[in-house]
Amino acid sequence: MPGVDHCLQEAMAIPGAVGASIVDYTTGFPVATTGAAPNSDHEAAAAGTADVVQAATSRSLFVSALPHDLLEDLIITTAGGYHLLRLVHTDFDSRLVLYVWLDRHQGNLAVARRRMQKLADDLVAT
Amino acid sequence: MTTASKTAAPSKPAAPSKPAAPARLLTQVATERQTGALVVGGHPGGAVYVLEGRVIYAESPAAPGVGELLTASGRLAGRTWQTALDQGTSTARVGRLLVEQGHLTQGELELCVLGATYDAAYFALSAADAQVEFLDGAMHWLGPIAHIDPAAVNREVRRRAKMLDAIFPDQRVDAAVVTPATRAPRERVSLTALQWELLVHADGQRTPADLALLLGRAGFATIAELRRLAALGLLELPEVRAEAPEFVRLPQARGTAVDVNRPRISADNVGTATVPVISGVRPAAPGPPTAPRSRPLPATPLSPPPSSAPPSSAPPSSASPSATLSTPALPTSASPSLALPTSGQPSLVAPTSGPPSLVPPTSGPPSLAPPTSAPPTSATSSSTPSAHGLSARETSLQASSTQALPSRARSSSAPPASAPTVPGPPAPAALTEETSANGTVYRPPRLARRKPGAKLPKEVVGEPPQIHPGTDEVLLKRIRTALRALR
Repeated sequence: MPGVDHCLQEAMAIPGAVGASIVDYTTGFPVATTGAAPNSDHEAAAAGTADVVQAATSRSLFVSALPHDLLEDLIITTAGGYHLLRLVHTDFDSRLVLYVWLDRHQGNLAVARRRMQKLADDLVAT
Repeated sequence: MTTASKTAAPSKPAAPSKPAAPARLLTQVATERQTGALVVGGHPGGAVYVLEGRVIYAESPAAPGVGELLTASGRLAGRTWQTALDQGTSTARVGRLLVEQGHLTQGELELCVLGATYDAAYFALSAADAQVEFLDGAMHWLGPIAHIDPAAVNREVRRRAKMLDAIFPDQRVDAAVVTPATRAPRERVSLTALQWELLVHADGQRTPADLALLLGRAGFATIAELRRLAALGLLELPEVRAEAPEFVRLPQARGTAVDVNRPRISADNVGTATVPVISGVRPAAPGPPTAPRSRPLPATPLSPPPSSAPPSSAPPSSASPSATLSTPALPTSASPSLALPTSGQPSLVAPTSGPPSLVPPTSGPPSLAPPTSAPPTSATSSSTPSAHGLSARETSLQASSTQALPSRARSSSAPPASAPTVPGPPAPAALTEETSANGTVYRPPRLARRKPGAKLPKEVVGEPPQIHPGTDEVLLKRIRTALRALR
């Protein structure tokens, strides 16, 4: 029975993962965190994460006109790492995003993305 | 966790209710590693449940709880939730039961509880000053699902308050009734899904808390979106609405509609009145110079009825000694009863025919001779001052009696029973007014005030009822044809 902490442990098991958190992107608050965070500040990272997700979800540029063509994940790459944001779609109202910070050299973007997809689904799957 | 702390009922209030900063009290409770509920009064207020110094849950009327979130979204059927409540409330295991029975995953439950807790904590703890009470040992029925550092809760509460002010610094949006602007202030508007939901469901009655509960959305998210909408100009701000609180437009007397409590004009100032005389105006007697003396307020033409009514002080002029007897006088009430049968609408006059013993209500209309009523009218021409003293109710009655008079002349239906029983003078008192009025300034009000659905008196509605049906019809027909020919 995977809880939030278990989910984050799994996320840290992704090759190259440095830190992970679940962020409420309406408020930019880290609901749960593990590992490191950019600038070692989970809350600032969460706030930035929320801004990015808000930008992607609220601007019509990225929001599809097709019904149920929902935003899945956002990938931000830097010279030193990957920042993966995976939206967790719960039935009830909680706008959450799973955030994983990967080391650029050890991480594999495709693998990490697949693993995060599974984690996000398992978190809320019945 | 001890078993004692599991009981849902609070054991004893440790701290008495006192105004304090809830956030500071939470920190104090946390440092002492207490278990219980921090109940915050005020508006919206709320409660924060602490287990050994860690926040496990919070609730507030302004924020949907776990149950509302889960059921409003359709994630759980209401029945399922209720069953879990029934089974687990007493032992504070509702959350665990839901997971154990497979209705929710642990992850869902935790996320839901975390979200609801932070959400409610914002409303419960953001007040700077409130009545706070700590119920020692209280435990929430949901059970310990999440364990949150109180410091993080406090930090987050402060951060959220700042965020809201960064969006749109107007706290009234948070609590006031949501009213969407009728017209968008720009050509193109793009909304998020939640904003759309809020606007669709805002009906001018619901507060943000109502909307959050209805939609199963987090209270803070609702408020944040509402503030964004307000910043976009898509909401009417509370202050704009507060300036126009006119929910009910008061009726205004106009035209010939006459208020029962209409102001009266005293006899002396009618001549000098600059106000155009309309039907509501009180009669001016042809020439009673005695009236002004009795007036307490002669200068004001529109003095209110009660003050201007001097029944007792009215000069005992000519024909109406009985009118000075004061208002509820039986004679005055009896006089309308004279006209009653002819008026055809007993409901108007019925209540006033005070002593039933005197005026038998059953006195059938068509029984006897009209002449009995005729003399009083002619006899009483100059007693108007006394008529001023009549109460408002009676004047309305007189209105109806004046209506009835013409018809009475035609139809011979005055009640014989009432005429003898009624003492002579009273009837004059009531009738004087209209006789004098017919001659001079006073035009009697057309109608007394009626209830909304009530019928008009027949004599007003139209043709006088069945008077010599045969001949009148013929006559009318002739008149009509003649008129048509003229045209």
